[in-house]
Amino acid sequence: MFKGIFGSENKGKILLYIYTHGESYPREIAKILGLYLNGVQKQLLNMEKDGILYSKLKGKVRLFGLNPRYPFKRELESLFEKILKFIPDEERERIYLPRLRPRRTGKPL
Amino acid sequence: MKLKGLSLKDFAIVISGYLLKNEIEVILTGGACVVIYTNNKYMSYDLDFVLISSDKEREVKQLLLDLEFYEEDRYFKHNDTEYFIDFVSPPLSVGEEPVKEITEIKKGGNLLKLLSPTDCVKDRLIAFYHWDDRQSLKQAILVYRNNKVDLKEIERWSSSEGMSAKYKLFLARVEHR
Repeated sequence: MFKGIFGSENKGKILLYIYTHGESYPREIAKILGLYLNGVQKQLLNMEKDGILYSKLKGKVRLFGLNPRYPFKRELESLFEKILKFIPDEERERIYLPRLRPRRTGKPL
Repeated sequence: MKLKGLSLKDFAIVISGYLLKNEIEVILTGGACVVIYTNNKYMSYDLDFVLISSDKEREVKQLLLDLEFYEEDRYFKHNDTEYFIDFVSPPLSVGEEPVKEITEIKKGGNLLKLLSPTDCVKDRLIAFYHWDDRQSLKQAILVYRNNKVDLKEIERWSSSEGMSAKYKLFLARVEHR
């Protein structure tokens, strides 16, 4: 689904993941999407170079997010909202619907 | 080409002129514009150039290597200067809008194209608007106070970016001396 628009299936998945999660870091993205860490890091750095993503250091972790200065950010977000409708329910809930509300420390899952 | 001892402004002019003579157009953006427009009241060492033709990346790299620049991470550095160069992918934009007005500085047969003071303020405000970066707000105020800036245009643009509330914070700061 992503390859036609983004040139690469993994690139599209990574971008959609970041869009639905706000910010994320390479290891988390690779783990959740089942991708190789090196490949994810390379994609993220390339997209940062192209201005689509920003990155910032939080402690020792480098977080990536959609660059608010990217001139086509709004259109990209509209595209992602449409794409989400076409993703199978199970995959959408498992990967692209994060829990954002806090969970008390120690509360069983 | 002599790079040692140049101010950031002169360094930018020389590099831009060199690239232009090789038919490569670049436009200076980012913090380096703040340095130029505030006469070094703010200091930065990195020069962000937007490469107008993205298919010229390889040529640009070779041209800089010819001048004994070396590439480290994605930045171009030189032993004779503390400044370093980054090439930013096009398009040249401030927020969601393309940049339409470019300022030109000519010196010694070279030409530097850069953001106008008004667009430089917008460029700084974007970081304040989206990341609450107070340093960027301070830089925007500095540029405003040292140049002729179209405040009405900044108000219009801020509104189109959905940032009217934060624009008022900027306005309050520039009106209070």
